[in-house]
Amino acid sequence: MARLGMVIDLKRCIGCNACTLACKQENGTPEGIHYARVVTQEAGVYPRTKRTFLPVLCNHCADAPCAEACPTGATYIRPDGIVMVDHKKCIGCRACNVACPYMNRHFIERGLLKHGYSSDGISPFEALKFADFDEGTNIKCTLCAHRVDEGLEPACVVTCPTDARVFGDWEEENGKLQRLVKERKAWTLLPEYGTKPSVQYLDE
Amino acid sequence: MATMQSTPISPSAGRWIPSTCGMCLHGCGIKVQVVDGVAVKIEGDPTNPDNLGKLCPKGNSGLARLYDPTRVLYPMKRTNPKKGLHEKPGWVQIGWEEAYEIVARELGKLRKDDPRKLLCAIGDFQRILLWGWPAVFGSPNFFTSLGNYCGGSYHPVNGSVDGSFAAINDYEHCNYWIQIGSGDGFSSHLHLSGSAKRMADARMRGMRVVSLDPRCSVASAKADEWIPILPGTDRAFVLGMAHVLVHELRRYDREFLRERTNAPYLVKADGYFLRDSEGKAQVWDLRVNAARAWDAVPSESMALEGAFSHAGMNVRTGFQVWMDILLENTPEKMSEVTTVPAATIRRIAREFVDAAQIGASIEIQGKTYPYRPAALNYYRGSQSHANGLFDNITYKLFNMLVGNIDVPGGHLGVPLDHRGFFVSPGEDGMLKPEPHQLHPAPEFKYPPDSTHLLEWFPIGFDAGQLNAETVLNPERFGLNYRPEAMLLYHSNPWWNMPETDKIEKIFQSMKFVVAIDIQETESTQWADVFLPDRTFLESTLLNCLEPPAVTGHALRQPVVEPLGDTRDAYEILTELAERMGFRDDWNDFLNIVCGYTAKPKYLLDPDKRHTVDEFWDRYARSIYGEDKGLEWFKVHGHAVRYRTPEETYLPFGNLRIPFYFEFIKRTGEQMRVRLSEAGMKDWPLDNYQPLPFWKNSQVIEDGKAGYEYYGITFKESLHTFADTMVMPWLSEVSDKDPIHGGILINSATAGKLGIKTGDRLRLTSPAGSIEGAAQVVEGIHPQVLGVSNTITRQVVNNKRVRAKGSHFNRLLTGSMRYTDSATGGLESTARVRVERLGA
Repeated sequence: MARLGMVIDLKRCIGCNACTLACKQENGTPEGIHYARVVTQEAGVYPRTKRTFLPVLCNHCADAPCAEACPTGATYIRPDGIVMVDHKKCIGCRACNVACPYMNRHFIERGLLKHGYSSDGISPFEALKFADFDEGTNIKCTLCAHRVDEGLEPACVVTCPTDARVFGDWEEENGKLQRLVKERKAWTLLPEYGTKPSVQYLDE
Repeated sequence: MATMQSTPISPSAGRWIPSTCGMCLHGCGIKVQVVDGVAVKIEGDPTNPDNLGKLCPKGNSGLARLYDPTRVLYPMKRTNPKKGLHEKPGWVQIGWEEAYEIVARELGKLRKDDPRKLLCAIGDFQRILLWGWPAVFGSPNFFTSLGNYCGGSYHPVNGSVDGSFAAINDYEHCNYWIQIGSGDGFSSHLHLSGSAKRMADARMRGMRVVSLDPRCSVASAKADEWIPILPGTDRAFVLGMAHVLVHELRRYDREFLRERTNAPYLVKADGYFLRDSEGKAQVWDLRVNAARAWDAVPSESMALEGAFSHAGMNVRTGFQVWMDILLENTPEKMSEVTTVPAATIRRIAREFVDAAQIGASIEIQGKTYPYRPAALNYYRGSQSHANGLFDNITYKLFNMLVGNIDVPGGHLGVPLDHRGFFVSPGEDGMLKPEPHQLHPAPEFKYPPDSTHLLEWFPIGFDAGQLNAETVLNPERFGLNYRPEAMLLYHSNPWWNMPETDKIEKIFQSMKFVVAIDIQETESTQWADVFLPDRTFLESTLLNCLEPPAVTGHALRQPVVEPLGDTRDAYEILTELAERMGFRDDWNDFLNIVCGYTAKPKYLLDPDKRHTVDEFWDRYARSIYGEDKGLEWFKVHGHAVRYRTPEETYLPFGNLRIPFYFEFIKRTGEQMRVRLSEAGMKDWPLDNYQPLPFWKNSQVIEDGKAGYEYYGITFKESLHTFADTMVMPWLSEVSDKDPIHGGILINSATAGKLGIKTGDRLRLTSPAGSIEGAAQVVEGIHPQVLGVSNTITRQVVNNKRVRAKGSHFNRLLTGSMRYTDSATGGLESTARVRVERLGA
């Protein structure tokens, strides 16, 4: 058994969006869809102002509301904790979009795959990457399962210029994830939803 | 593990090819996955110690450039004789033969007539070896501001202090980092990916960061302390801190200043060094209380401070001269200029000198060095001003006060390339100043040959912005010709220059324009012929440019078959040289810039056309040895390694570095004589000063004419070093951050003016006006309006990118009043009035 996940160190993160773009090229998601993104906010009043950078991705919740809401079993949780969608079973009902409190489920609208990042059709890169997708179905961050299954880390982790993202297994006793959250104050997003996220954050 | 949601391309499919990134000028190491002839993924090359496997968001978007549907893939000629920014050129595809024939015919005619009539704009930094093509053609003209906004005063001062090109604090050993107007380690400048990693590691080990910026930049947001400051007044803040160190705390590194700089050299009332009959600069020998030659007195016996009487003359040490200047710069006075409280100036100065540990040393790999783990780092925002020379020298001198130049923990020079620091002995035991590293120092000439008046900036950079004045009024500057044609090569001068309307007039006056690029830009709207270059994923070169911490080349190599029918820019320029009959001179020129004159075995044959691969193979072997040609690099990717402590620390050895810049004063005096002989009596020469001080710039003075606010522009990591605002992958992400959507205005100011987010604003400067949507924020100085560089493009051919068109440079001026008279650096800030046009 395992429970794969991530710790994101907000002290290291500079909000550069390398994760956003590494994910974009790794997964080739259509226009408007980002599995990884950075939420930037301003806090405080001048001159005591800060900008905060919060990188977000699917939390791969242990109690995933999206999986619970899925009427067809298309959304499922792998034994290693990764929350996945079987696109053959997905009927595009979007119950998961509503259920996910983190807005990390993405629906491929009809017609979206007809164009890439131009109005004039799709590029050779998009042609290869879009082969994975079906219009009218739901997609999401897979924690780069296709990389993980080959012993690699997710794309957003390897590219992160500041090493803010640490990938690992929460069940590994005294492994890197467990150690990090013991040493520093850690928290999850929207704990009140009781989703048990596999992504935790370390305070600035 | 079974059952995927889909079947993405496996990371082990196809093959991974080592190369270098071309999304900004620096060239981080990458590896590219290619499946069935299609590039599908770019990652950082973990074997390259430069970026350590990391890649910034631009680097992660390289595939979107390769496959950008708006790329130009075939040679084209214009059919619409009417030209203008929004005039469609009416491109028709032609063959290379026809394209070359037209360009060689038009430029060849011009060359026979007067080659100076060609204006050239070149911006391809990774092919910097090719930048001399216009000079070989016969044109000295530099028609672009590229590099001058940030480097106009920065590079000459770095080169004069320690033979470096750029500079950065020591990520590994620094404990207290003052960052002024810079994104180093956070959002921009030198090799972002690796720098961000080094900065994050330094902060995790407890390094404190203090950031000065008019805007809450990424550096400011992540710093331990953000100090908002008025644009263009950073120098006043640092002069105030220097005052505190020198006059209030009396704490500075006397040993460093006496031993390693010319601070103890005696200065006469006329500002020049006191010299003996042999011409040797004098110091005050404390053992005998008399002036002696600098090399006759051990450093510990030199007076660092003081005024003395020598042969009836009053003389002061160079250090004393600056101390006397600094008397004026009390924190209270500097607070009035900067808006930073005097108590803050005092506190930061004290924290800095406490952290600097003056007197401490450290052993690194068996050698003992001074250890000064506090340093002030600065870049574009803090010194891209009309007094940029003073700004840069002030920051260097402040660092020198704690003896931190090029020592562990301190402020380190970054060499231009693999050749390292340019160190050679100059006068008076000093390092020879190297203000020019991209081309030889220009000789004074009147009438001048160049439209950017290169010949009048002997210690300066290339003041491209002056074209706005000179090309339209050549006779005023003694120019005895009018430019008629333009060569654009990865450069967009319509967009990067100030004085947009004047620049546009120059474009309109051109009889022929040729563009070498991968994509259309504002400037190529005027092109008659478009010669498509290859992207970084389809071409070959060796990369080594301004790398902090490391040195050595990495290879760019084609990872896919080139799209369409494009040619490598080297091949294009060589073919054109051949057709116009100067290929032999072109090869001779390349022999010089490649350093082959000292290694004759590698000399290019003037009578031969060398292919792209031959050219780079030879270059690789000339540097790394016979066994390390192109084939070696294709397999190994790079020869990048960490710089050794010897290559990094105290590169100037026993030579002294300048504290008192006598050579600048002398150069100014020479210029005064030459220009007045030429009848140019009004030409400003105010900034040829040996030491920096505070004076109000023209921008500050403009405030009196009713321009109450300041306008600034900024970039962050999504668009560092520009050039990518038209890329949908990146614009889609920057559009989500409100700071990149409009004109930033502080909430208190907005409240006062009745402005709400989304309201249409007009900013008007003495030069022009722009419009944009208001974005009310807390994170900007109340007197400052911020315009993201992201919203400045006008010609956007990809319909999925929203053009916002708030072209900041319209607010800037290109005249000498807004140019540093010594370096040619231009003013990047404008005073503005704000109008609310409506909701």
